[in-house]
Amino acid sequence: MVTAMGTKVISIFDAIGEVSYLILKTMVALFTPPFRFKDFVKQLNFVAVESAPVVVFCVSFAAMVTIIEASFHMKMVIQNDAMVPGFSSLLIIRELGAVITALLVTSRVGAGLAAEVGTMQITEQIDALKMLGIEKIRYLVVPRFLACVIAGFTLTIIANLVCLYCAMLVSQFKLGYTFGNFLVGMRTFVQFQDLVFSSIKGACFGAVIPIVSCYYGFKCKAGAEGVGLATTNSVVTSSVSILILDFLLSWIFSFFY
Amino acid sequence: MKSETKVGLLFITAVVMVVIFAYYLGALNPFTNAHELRLAYNYAGGVEVGSPVRVMGIPVGKVKSIVFRPDQKMESGEEVKLEIVITVDKSAWKTIRTDSRFYINLAGVIGEKFIEVSPGSNEKSEFAPGQLVRGEDPPRIDQLISQSYGLAGKILEFVEKNEGSVIETINTMNKLVTNLNKALKQMEKVQSSGQLRNIADDWVTISDDLAFFTQSIRSEEGKKTVHLINKLIWRLDALDAKAIKKFLQEEGIKAKLF
Repeated sequence: MVTAMGTKVISIFDAIGEVSYLILKTMVALFTPPFRFKDFVKQLNFVAVESAPVVVFCVSFAAMVTIIEASFHMKMVIQNDAMVPGFSSLLIIRELGAVITALLVTSRVGAGLAAEVGTMQITEQIDALKMLGIEKIRYLVVPRFLACVIAGFTLTIIANLVCLYCAMLVSQFKLGYTFGNFLVGMRTFVQFQDLVFSSIKGACFGAVIPIVSCYYGFKCKAGAEGVGLATTNSVVTSSVSILILDFLLSWIFSFFY
Repeated sequence: MKSETKVGLLFITAVVMVVIFAYYLGALNPFTNAHELRLAYNYAGGVEVGSPVRVMGIPVGKVKSIVFRPDQKMESGEEVKLEIVITVDKSAWKTIRTDSRFYINLAGVIGEKFIEVSPGSNEKSEFAPGQLVRGEDPPRIDQLISQSYGLAGKILEFVEKNEGSVIETINTMNKLVTNLNKALKQMEKVQSSGQLRNIADDWVTISDDLAFFTQSIRSEEGKKTVHLINKLIWRLDALDAKAIKKFLQEEGIKAKLF
């Protein structure tokens, strides 16, 4: 049992080391030519543009649920929900928009990336790239990494503002607060830097997805089962990493208030 | 549609959304139509950058910046070390005059701080944009609480030091109240037994008699009587103990009158 635990601990350290190496190599390749602009735009289209409808649709409902629940609880506790538009906006901008967007992108893009890279790994396409003198990280990871970072940043902004609009509609038609009331409440609580911090969070979450997905893709074992496992592991690890990173970033950003 | 176009459209959408958000939040306003005023305070009571400025309860601007000025002095020579720069819409600018006052106030359920500007009188002139004006420092709640604590402590100390005399005073007051209560009860008894009414009736009779007496004095006969009495008193004025003694001795009567 002790041996099994020791092996597990060593494998965790191995994984941390390999991921750190992957991040370092990606960072180096990111700032050194040749740059693969076409691949980057293609990935950006896949990650940002094609994910946008799903993200917007889902976060709208999340925002509506948030404001309705907040109103329900406030009425239950202090028999007044006058502050709900204000602090719901803050909750949406600081947490909801960034985290839900990142989790949706993980489930859509992260799984796809892990399956794609994993399939390339088991069909020896990556070995072929090496034979052609093409660095696998520069060719596969860098465009996806950059696309995910920028998509995370952009989609978080769009998701936040769509969320706010939906919350505004709910507050108008369900809670009885006009758009003006909502905006006044929002101004009381929300600052522009909240959106900036949220977007930075989105970019960081976006960075997690390709690194984790490509790591599991490169480690993919042969067969359909191996690809499936790589995909599952990639989504689970990315989601957990995003939530942990969310805590760390929120804690760091709290020093700026 | 090409991938580049789609990506470009997404970015433009994001940028437009950010600009709209910043505009509604008040962080970005390229079409500003406001003047600035510099308010000097020694205590700002929690006002922050972005807090609203209101004239007669209507929002007309915002707190633009808060600056510490350690060497700042007003024209009167008063040292005022905090400068709050506010913006005021041009539409409300004319209502603010040199006799306007700038209070720091509280609003809403969450106690949002804002600067309330009282409208000035028309006889006074307008402020020049960017002029330095002395604001009204808000009362410091912490100081009030601290002073209340001090006062409560002094009262407690006084009571502790003069415990005997305080108790004595309270006992005396207690006795006084008891006696007063007894007196009131007696009065109530007297009132209920009818004695008070008898006294009142007697007073009425006496006053009636006095009225009759004064009326009879006012008649011709009464006037004559008063005149005679007056004469008699005038004559008797010189009649003292010596005169009576002399009179009685002259009349041969020996008596000890005095």
